[in-house]
Amino acid sequence: MIEIDHVSKSYNKGAVRAVDDLTLTVPSGEIFGFLGPNGAGKTTTIKMIVGILKPDGGTIRIAGLDNRADALCCKAMTAYVPDEPEIYERLKGIEYLNFIGDVYGVSGGDRQKRIEHWLEAFELSRAVADPIQTYSHGMRQKIILTAALMVKPKVFVLDEPMVGLDPRSSHLLKEAMREHCDGGGTLFFSTHIMEVAERLCDRIGIIHRGRLAAYGTMAELRDQAKDKASLENIFLELTES
Amino acid sequence: MRPTAALVKAALNSNFGWSVVRHRLFVQKRDRWMLPLIALAVVGVVPTMVLYFRLLGAAFDMLKSLGQEQALLTLAVLAGQLIILVFGLFYLISTFYFSRDLEYLVALPLKPSQIMLSKFAVVLINEYLTMAPIILPALIVYGFKKHRGPGYWIIMPLTYLLLPVIPLAAAGLVVVGMMRLVNIGKKKDLLIIIGSLVLIAAALFLQFGLSRAAGTSDMDAQKIIAMIGSPDGLVQSIGRRFPPAIWATRLLYDGLLTVSGFTGFVLFAGLSILLFGGLMAGAQRLFFGGLVGLSERSGSPGRRAKAGAMIKVSSGRHPVRAIFLREVRLMNRTPIFLLNGVLGVLMVPVILALTLSSGKPGDDSAVILRLMTSAKPITGVLVTTMFMIVCATLSGVASSSFSREGRKFWVSKVIPVDYRQQVLAKFLHSMAIALLGITSAAAVLVFRFHLGTGQWLSSLALALPITAFLTSLNLAVDLARPLLDWISPQKAMKQNLNVLIAMLLDLGFLFLYGVAFIALGKSGLSLAAALGILAGLGLGLASLAYVLILQFALRRYPSIEA
Repeated sequence: MIEIDHVSKSYNKGAVRAVDDLTLTVPSGEIFGFLGPNGAGKTTTIKMIVGILKPDGGTIRIAGLDNRADALCCKAMTAYVPDEPEIYERLKGIEYLNFIGDVYGVSGGDRQKRIEHWLEAFELSRAVADPIQTYSHGMRQKIILTAALMVKPKVFVLDEPMVGLDPRSSHLLKEAMREHCDGGGTLFFSTHIMEVAERLCDRIGIIHRGRLAAYGTMAELRDQAKDKASLENIFLELTES
Repeated sequence: MRPTAALVKAALNSNFGWSVVRHRLFVQKRDRWMLPLIALAVVGVVPTMVLYFRLLGAAFDMLKSLGQEQALLTLAVLAGQLIILVFGLFYLISTFYFSRDLEYLVALPLKPSQIMLSKFAVVLINEYLTMAPIILPALIVYGFKKHRGPGYWIIMPLTYLLLPVIPLAAAGLVVVGMMRLVNIGKKKDLLIIIGSLVLIAAALFLQFGLSRAAGTSDMDAQKIIAMIGSPDGLVQSIGRRFPPAIWATRLLYDGLLTVSGFTGFVLFAGLSILLFGGLMAGAQRLFFGGLVGLSERSGSPGRRAKAGAMIKVSSGRHPVRAIFLREVRLMNRTPIFLLNGVLGVLMVPVILALTLSSGKPGDDSAVILRLMTSAKPITGVLVTTMFMIVCATLSGVASSSFSREGRKFWVSKVIPVDYRQQVLAKFLHSMAIALLGITSAAAVLVFRFHLGTGQWLSSLALALPITAFLTSLNLAVDLARPLLDWISPQKAMKQNLNVLIAMLLDLGFLFLYGVAFIALGKSGLSLAAALGILAGLGLGLASLAYVLILQFALRRYPSIEA
């Protein structure tokens, strides 16, 4: 599970508060959708969860462990997919997967089985021996997803994972996300696609100007809103300036 | 603003990061700690510059006594243009073809020549800055010592501005042609590296040929007297293989208001314009042809592996080995990193050996080294040890180790590998390349300078721990402030301030090490005892620096925001 406790982060020496006293919990077995307008603080929150950014204050716990004090244990339990597929372009796809397998300590047998399965599913088998610099945006996204799925972590943290994916891959990913959480894993992801969040998420958080504007199941969010027609309406109502 | 002007302005801003620097210093109020450090580095260079000015003053006096003082101008112009020709090649290839903004620029409604012009402007400004500490002092010393009037001080900056155009445009034409040619093959990166090496070899050959032409060793006494007898005899002798140097000298020496000076100006400016125009015309025809294929996919689906083919997974390497392998692959497969890093350390000793060699048996530097060693063995060991260390450490591999990761640094932040292990892998990789430099230096010392086994082994034993110490120091410099937001790999290595800071620190340390070396030599201790103390000192420093860099990694890594 992920516990975010009074976490804040600001830039420009406090001039811009990207995340302001954020508190939320994502229990095991749950898909959590994180929504918000551009610049609301979604990516900053996600980067703090995976340890790329250091919070100014507050704590983040993964499976009960502080992600700064027990950083290595937390990282070993977490797989992260960024919003921009910036990876080592000069490595071949398979070399990147092996690198991630090596550093996460995935055994040879598991690695072989999982890589073959996900490469086949994402139709990357033919390209995996080519350098990543020859991949399209979507292919890069898929190789990062394959690496994350190969690790089979307890916690998935995905930043806008559907961007750049073709409908088939997007569908497969959603199935994998559900399966992961049904097996007791935790999934935290950000998205701008309201339909995906509405259909897939067990709970949703809407962040606006660094603060949590709404948090709960779809039913709870509907109760909080005046216009209950759809998540999009709720989102627009909550994020109007 | 017109598109070309807007593009050039954006390219310069992007390259030099003025907006970013302003934002960091005045809005984010970060990096202000760098200002005193930069000031310190500038102050540190002052003694060297004073020495250089004095040296130039002495050279002027000597040339004046022969009535050949204008040869100082020819030498300055020639040196500047050769520096640009050799070092500009890497830079041109990198800026013209490997900048990440190119894929956005080609999609804009701009002509190839406009894009090329913006890239050329970036290289040109950089070359002005690179040449300034070497060439401007010579032009200034000449102006003051010769008591030149205001005309000279107006023409001098004009000449300086024109100076890099001829070699850069000429090199640019060759690079554009080469890139168009190599882009037809499948192994583009390999061809780029081979092509670059051929160009560098050609430039070195030219430099070697010019330096031999400038020498007087192949002249008999009568020719020397005739040369000195003519007021511009030495100028003609130095510049005869490269006439633009003579034209620039005439312009500076005679001024614009004389026939000779004006002719020099017309020829110098005319050739600059002609070559620049040629480059723009060449760019219009060839630039996109060389560019497009660099980012295109290397293979059609038919070329890709068959579906279901055996996928080769590794059997589980140790994380340090995995990161070491990643470092090796990323360095060796990025042409700019490979050329500057690996090939740089291999070639620098050879270039130095060529530069020191006049080809004449009487004034052979090998003889000088042998004489020095037999007169005072410790001085000989000092020279060869320093040579090995310089060849191993000044490549910028360690001091750009973190910067080279660029925007992919997030991977290093999220993987479950102890930061100390990550730094260990980088240390081992930097040391592996440093060892290549030491090996190349040792080979040059043995085969070119005929160094005895005892001396090169002693030097190796002393150089290894000091190289390890400096590698840790250089890693620490880059870890303190990695440059992660770059668009051209050149920026991560050659234009990285960390590389310069590390180099100044290394040179400062080597100066102190040299002082300690000489002090021990004078102390009356036996050679073996003195070398033993120095080896012990090196080992102590290397161990201490290694422990400190690991501790620094634990503290610094978490606060690097990728």
